[in-house]
Amino acid sequence: MKWKKEDLNQYVQAKEYIDTVIIPLIPFQFTDEQNIEKNAFQSEVLSILTNEIEKELTGRVMLIPNYYYIKSSDLDDESTILRGWTEEIKKQPFKHVFFLTFDSGWKKREGKLDGTLLWLPGVKSGDLHSAEMHTVIKDQVEQIGELIRSYW
Amino acid sequence: MSEKKQQVTRRQFLNYTLTGVGGFMAAGMLIPMLRMAVDPVLQESGAGDMVNVGLSVDDITDEPQRVDWNVEQVDGWHESEVNQTAWVFTDENGDIQAFSPICTHLGCFVSWEGSDDHPNEFFCPCHDGRYYKDGTNVPGTPPLAPLDVYEHEVRDGMLFLGQAKSRGEA
Ligand code: FES
Repeated sequence: MKWKKEDLNQYVQAKEYIDTVIIPLIPFQFTDEQNIEKNAFQSEVLSILTNEIEKELTGRVMLIPNYYYIKSSDLDDESTILRGWTEEIKKQPFKHVFFLTFDSGWKKREGKLDGTLLWLPGVKSGDLHSAEMHTVIKDQVEQIGELIRSYW
Repeated sequence: MSEKKQQVTRRQFLNYTLTGVGGFMAAGMLIPMLRMAVDPVLQESGAGDMVNVGLSVDDITDEPQRVDWNVEQVDGWHESEVNQTAWVFTDENGDIQAFSPICTHLGCFVSWEGSDDHPNEFFCPCHDGRYYKDGTNVPGTPPLAPLDVYEHEVRDGMLFLGQAKSRGEA
């Protein structure tokens, strides 16, 4: 399910079945021109990935709106904000929180997050619409889905 | 006098143009409304559009296989390719069956033999929903209705699928 009117209507009536939350962590920054395209590309890929995972597991997973932050900002500060998010989220009967990101910076802050961090080694560039990219994304979706299910 | 006359003409002129613009605006509003009213009628013929899913009938066995295809979808704001999936097989009478993989409980993706514990059944990983091979929901598991069925047609030995239809509660 997503942060969308129709989905939430269903969510409110079936809360006890939706016990898993996915929060995508996506950096953006205009000043770092060297990486600007890579960052944007990864952000696109991550959105596709999380959408696909949500589609497969929609009856049990809630996809939270993306968390965007400035790439160069202090991730300790960001994790404090994220704790606020998880605190709010956990007022609902959610049992599992997954953070999905391509930003390896989070790996070191894993302990500061109230949930499971899934850091995906990033695809750096490519053509989103190419057949190879489709296969890569499909594989990833399958594996991440399996991982999430192993927590249930 | 001539000045006054000119003013009147100007006002008239404005009046005319504004009526003209208003007319255009009204038409602009009315036409989509008309279209909306008429569209469903037009769509009726298009709704049964069958899509070649790229599977030869000869390749359909009694083991459900996953078939993916894309359809164009326009939903007001987006025009996009939507991925569709079906589980296709021949039943004991040799008839082709094409089931929607969408769990009738809360919409997760249902897989044929998705759980080792439940062979010969469709399985939904979200809340252990189960369906028999004929698509009927297994009583006592969360789904309350059987899997939807795609309309199908065979043309020149190829499988064509249309809309997925609900079979209602069971
Ligand atoms: S969504 Fe399939 S069992 Fe709940």
